[in-house]
Amino acid sequence: MDQPTPSDGPLPKDLFRQPDGAPDPDAEAAAEAHQAYVTLLFNKYRAALQRYLCRFVAPDDAAELVQEAYFRLLRRGDLVRIEPMARAFLFETGTNLARDLRRRRATRHADQHVQLDGQELAEDHQRPDEQLAGEQMRVILERAIAALPQDTRTVFLLHRYRDLSYPQIAGLTQLSPRTVARKMAEAIERLSAALGGTS
Amino acid sequence: MNVTTLPQAQPAAEWFARVRGGQVDATSDAAWRAFVSEPRNEVALEDCEAAWALSAELAGSANIESLLAEVDRRLAAPPRANVPRWRSWRAAAAALVAALGIAALLVLNRGGSTQAQYDTARAEERVVNLEDGSVVTLNTGTSVRISYSKEHRRIDLLHGEALFEVAKDATRPFEVHALAGVTTAVGTRFDVEVNAGSAAVTVIEGTVTVSASSGSGAAAVPVNAGQAVDYTAAGAVSPPHPADVGRIQGWELHRIVFSDVTLAQALADYNRYSEVPIVLQAPGLESRHINGVFRIGDEQAFLGALEQGLHLKAERGDGQIRLVEK
Repeated sequence: MDQPTPSDGPLPKDLFRQPDGAPDPDAEAAAEAHQAYVTLLFNKYRAALQRYLCRFVAPDDAAELVQEAYFRLLRRGDLVRIEPMARAFLFETGTNLARDLRRRRATRHADQHVQLDGQELAEDHQRPDEQLAGEQMRVILERAIAALPQDTRTVFLLHRYRDLSYPQIAGLTQLSPRTVARKMAEAIERLSAALGGTS
Repeated sequence: MNVTTLPQAQPAAEWFARVRGGQVDATSDAAWRAFVSEPRNEVALEDCEAAWALSAELAGSANIESLLAEVDRRLAAPPRANVPRWRSWRAAAAALVAALGIAALLVLNRGGSTQAQYDTARAEERVVNLEDGSVVTLNTGTSVRISYSKEHRRIDLLHGEALFEVAKDATRPFEVHALAGVTTAVGTRFDVEVNAGSAAVTVIEGTVTVSASSGSGAAAVPVNAGQAVDYTAAGAVSPPHPADVGRIQGWELHRIVFSDVTLAQALADYNRYSEVPIVLQAPGLESRHINGVFRIGDEQAFLGALEQGLHLKAERGDGQIRLVEK
């Protein structure tokens, strides 16, 4: 919690500079610059990340995960210096942490299954953080995916479940990479709209 | 289902898609700042990210698998029985390499059997689609001879390394002969490498049997997914040991495929993976369409293909590589 907290505001330009090819003799300065960059990024988006993680876990857990995401980023030396990508990375790290936490909880609950009586179990099942992964969400999402227009669905399925890049998908589908990106945008817009009904 | 599109959804979805594709750079900085300064935009972007994260939970579900199977059917026409699902993009890649016409190819037709030899030079890779739907990926400096008949599917790995994705055909075992040994599969995915008098067989999916001698006396060693065995020209097959599957998958994945894209687009894509940007300084060539499969990191092969194919010259300096007319 007692991390350096520089003032808010726009990120300084030089932090976005790509490292130039020459070997950096001053690794310490690089590490400091990295920490400064991560801290700025974190301070700018911490409130949003906290709010976002509350979609998946309880607020107390979300606050802890936000901190953990920050430490994880500090340990990663290769964070992209392009803000929207670095931000996406921060959110992805947070999402993965939330997923891990939920899986750990689910396992622990399964372990406790024999010890708990029926009443306690029923209470467990109503935890807010268990609801999102629930059957209802799955059904809504699956239907929304199936209802996507054909090309859009193809692009989404290949990118999401086959981990193909846009150029790879372009090569397969005869769409241009630009069109692939547009289809991806359309897919995620429709899926997010479909989920909007439940949140 | 209650589907409504919020007014802010579209730019957010566009940003989401661009970031996922790595289609942002320092020039999009101002636009990003304007976008993210609006709280409604931020929330809409988070909606997209949540939908993306939640959709990951559906991986492997029956409904998603059946949608994916439908995609495969549509992309890989005409459909073939039991063709591995990644075949489709391999097919595209193979067609591209064929279009470039790099590798030497010799086809002989003798009474219903097919024979062909494929070779790759140094720094060249090649994907070969076989008539039964099997796919052979040749690493650099590799030669294979392929002999198919009604009774057998035989590959001779003369030298180098190749990855085999075998379409199921119980009536025709798939045999890879390397040195004196034979690796036999029915339908699976495995890699064989010949190097300095010894051969290594690595199994990625399914099971194969390996015998060190093609003679009938040798006992066949079963090798399962995640395992590897070695054998020498003279000796017996080693006991199976854990395989370095990651190395082989890395070899497979570190590839960039250009399918009828403009040169400008291809360079933009390639530059995302390379330290030194390649800049085109040949007016009029930006919109030329190119095809090809290249290995990420092997700049020399990429530049060489551009120099040859488009009569360009690569000049290095000032932290960039300039492509100019020859």
